[in-house]
Parts: sequence; C-alpha cells; structure tokens
Amino acid sequence: MTTSIDLKDVTLDYNLYSVRAQSLRNAVLNMAVGGRLMRSGKDVTVIRALSNISLNLREGDRLALVGHNGSGKTSLLKVLAGIYEPTAGVVDVRGRISSMISMSIGLDAEASGLQNIRNLAMMQMMPDREIKRRLPDIVEFSELGAFVHMPFKTYSAGMMARLTFSVATQMDADILIMDEWISAGDAEFQKKAAARLTSMVDKAKIVVIATHDLKLAATVSNRVMTMEAGVPTFLGTTAEWVERSNPA
Amino acid sequence: MNLVRSLKAALQDLYDGAALMPLWWRVAVEQTVTRYRRTLLGPFWLASTTLATAFSLSVVFGSIFGGNFRDSMPFIMIGVVAWSMTGGLLPDSANTFVSGAGIMQVQKLPVSFHAYLQISRALINFAHQVVGLWLVLLVMGLAVVPHWHLLLTLPIVLMAGFFLAIPLGMLSLRFRDINYMVSFVAQAMFMLTPVFWRRTQMPGHLHWIVDLNPFAHLLEIIRQPMQGHPAPMGDLIASLAFMVSVALLAVGSLTFFRRRVVFWL
Repeated sequence: MTTSIDLKDVTLDYNLYSVRAQSLRNAVLNMAVGGRLMRSGKDVTVIRALSNISLNLREGDRLALVGHNGSGKTSLLKVLAGIYEPTAGVVDVRGRISSMISMSIGLDAEASGLQNIRNLAMMQMMPDREIKRRLPDIVEFSELGAFVHMPFKTYSAGMMARLTFSVATQMDADILIMDEWISAGDAEFQKKAAARLTSMVDKAKIVVIATHDLKLAATVSNRVMTMEAGVPTFLGTTAEWVERSNPA
Repeated sequence: MNLVRSLKAALQDLYDGAALMPLWWRVAVEQTVTRYRRTLLGPFWLASTTLATAFSLSVVFGSIFGGNFRDSMPFIMIGVVAWSMTGGLLPDSANTFVSGAGIMQVQKLPVSFHAYLQISRALINFAHQVVGLWLVLLVMGLAVVPHWHLLLTLPIVLMAGFFLAIPLGMLSLRFRDINYMVSFVAQAMFMLTPVFWRRTQMPGHLHWIVDLNPFAHLLEIIRQPMQGHPAPMGDLIASLAFMVSVALLAVGSLTFFRRRVVFWL
C-alpha cells in the first residue's frame, strides 16, 4: 500500500464554552488566540482553528508547518493524526502513523526513562519482544546514557525531546507527525535528528513537522506550508519558500 | 441520514475499542503497577482499605443488628467488596475521560477505549480485593466456595460498569461540577444500598429505596454467588434491564457527542 495524505477543504471548528462571547473580549481573544472567533448563540464561542485546508503529500515528502503560536499548526497535526475529526472536508490518510504531538503528555514522571520508552512503544501496539529488541537502539540514539534509569521528572526539556524523538522515529511508521518540540534538543542533537528524518524519507515515508524555527524547517523539509489564523498562506517547496522569504 | 452515519460510527467505536483489548488490558496492568510503585503491598493497599472498612462495619453493625456473627460477618464483608465493583465504581467512572486526557490528546483511539480501560482497572482492583477477602475469611473459618452463577453475573456487572462509564464520563468531562457531585452521590448510595444492612430490616414502606436502586440489584447478583448462593432471579432481571438501559445511553451519547469529546478536555 502506498503512503499518502490528502486533505480537501478541511475546516475545523470547535466550541469554547468557558468564554462568554462578548464583543470586546472577543476582539482581545481574537488577537491572543490567533484563531478566528465567531459568535454563535449566547455562551458558546466557536473557534475556527482550521479553514479550508487542502494538501496532498506523497511518499518522500517532508512537510514543515510554519506559523506563530496559535496559528493552527498543532490542530492540523491532530487532524492528520486522527485525534480531531474535521467539521467539514475530507481527510484521507493512508499508512501507519506515529505521532509525537506532546513531549510529556502521556508520560509518567515517576517512572524511569526506560520504562517510559516501553510505555510509549506499548501505546504504539509494539509487542514486548519487539520492544526488548529495539530498546538498545532507542537508548543509544537518545544519548541519554545512564540517565535512562533516572525518573523522567529529573529530565530537562532537551532530554525529554531526545527520548520522545528516539522512540517516535523507531516505530516503523509510514507517517511521522511531530510537533515543534524537536527544537528543544541542543544543536548537535538537532543535526542528528535532521539526518534521521532525512533517512526516514529514503524508506519512502512522509514526515510532517510543525515548527516556528525557520532554520530547522529549511534543513529538514522539502515542502513548506505557512499558516496564519488557521488559514494556509503559502504552500510550496522549501526552495520556493526560502526564495520568497529572502528576496534579494 | 446524518444520524444513521453517526450511529454507525458509534457502534464502530465500541467495536474498535473492543478489538484493542490487548492494548487496554496491558495499559490497565501497567497503570496499576505504576500507581503502587515503590510500595510493599502494591494493589493490596487498596484492597486493605476496603477490607478495613468491611471489617469495621461488620463488627459495629453486626453487633447493633444482633443475630449470628458467623452470618453477618461474611454478609457485610462480601457486601462491601461487591459494592466496590458496583456502586463504588461511580467516582472512577466519572473520571473515565478526565484521567484519559493525556492519551486522548496525543493518540487516535476509539472513545470507548477509555471506558474499557477504566473497567479493566476496576476488575484488577476487584481481583485483589477478592483475594484479600478470601484470605481473611479463610483465617476466620468463614470461607465458602462461590456459586458458579458468579461466572454469569460478573460479566453483567462489568458490562453495566463499562457502558455507564461512557455517558457518565462524558457528562463529567463537559460539566466539571458533575465530578464532585458523583463522589457525594456515591457516598450516599453506599448508605442507601443494602451493603451492611438487609432489605428485610427496613420497614415495608421504605422498600422502594432498595427496589428502585439499580446498584442494590447489581450488588446482590455479585454478593449472593460469592456467598455460595445462586443469584436471585429478580435481581438478575433488574440488573440486566439496567445494563441494557445504560448500553442505550452509551450508544446515544457516542452517537451525538463522540466527535466532540476530545474538545472538552
């Protein structure tokens, strides 16, 4: 089966209940959240997180989603990962997905790094035998050394990122979906991570990464989509995007 | 047309959740282990809480109500343990999706997955309690062999608990007050259900408190077989009726709110 992602006119609205929709507040929130706030009814505010997004990705594509906080990057990742169902439009994702959308959610702060690796792999339905077999590779790639035996709560953000990234990229997935935390690692690890992502494409896979790190986007991706307030503002190759953003 | 599609998706959700059994069972075991990490007795701590309650209640109420100690002791102790698998599930059921929030936000899973997970955790706890209970009863020379009806009634109770977790979990996720409400309702129900007293000890005009209480029936179809008696037919029918009603509620709430649950987190 070939791996592909096709989105057609995908729109995602969701209700925000705690916000009393009032015009002034609405306006302030509009700026703060970045999503477009619309009034419907009395106490329920509908947030349009994504608006008419169409996207086609084929094997070998590495898409970087670029945009400010709240521009809809994570919402789009969650739609791709199947966590959110869109309000309108068609989502057609073919292939096994490995999504690492949060760095620490779903991880156990008290448990050791090793145990957390096992848990993450378990959630991806990996059998125990397979986990045992891959554990050394994952640990080695993470470069955490003896820290894998320490409780997860003692980890720095960079170490958490290393651990999660190492697991996510060892999952035999056809599609890898990652949120911007990849930039939490140090420069050396980022280089290594970029190399790993590129090699994943050699195995005919699709990678989608959300980031606000423009340099990272330029290194790891071959396609770029920029977003603003849930609306795609640019979609093209990385070369085109670099050219556009540095007109000289 | 749209409704039909939503209904189909709801049923598909229940089916997909069931198919993930290896996963939720593994996660339930893992979460139980995690919760009691670095403790000596592990899950038996929870069992000892229940057993301590059961023991104190049976000493106090056994003597207040009089009668044979060998009669009242197992009745109350088994009653308290059976309660923890029926009405005692209410607070945890209300937390079904609240406690699943972490997983729900990062991984695509059927909504019902979290209810299966919740009921598996409950079953694991119950198993520990039963082991502890039997040890205590053995030491006191009060242990009896359970009636085979338990094999029939425990699944009914599990199914009822599973289905109940879906609408209740959704409700308390959407309206955060429900969670607090459920804990005191559960506390009140514990008193209003014949856990440590008998229906016959109530004056006749108050029997409706027992008869209309679904947890009284669920409790009885667990307790009677655990005491070595067959499950009473009336309680069995009432329990089945309750199970079917909550199943319909579960399917209904999945039909209408399945897609929205994740946004309520």
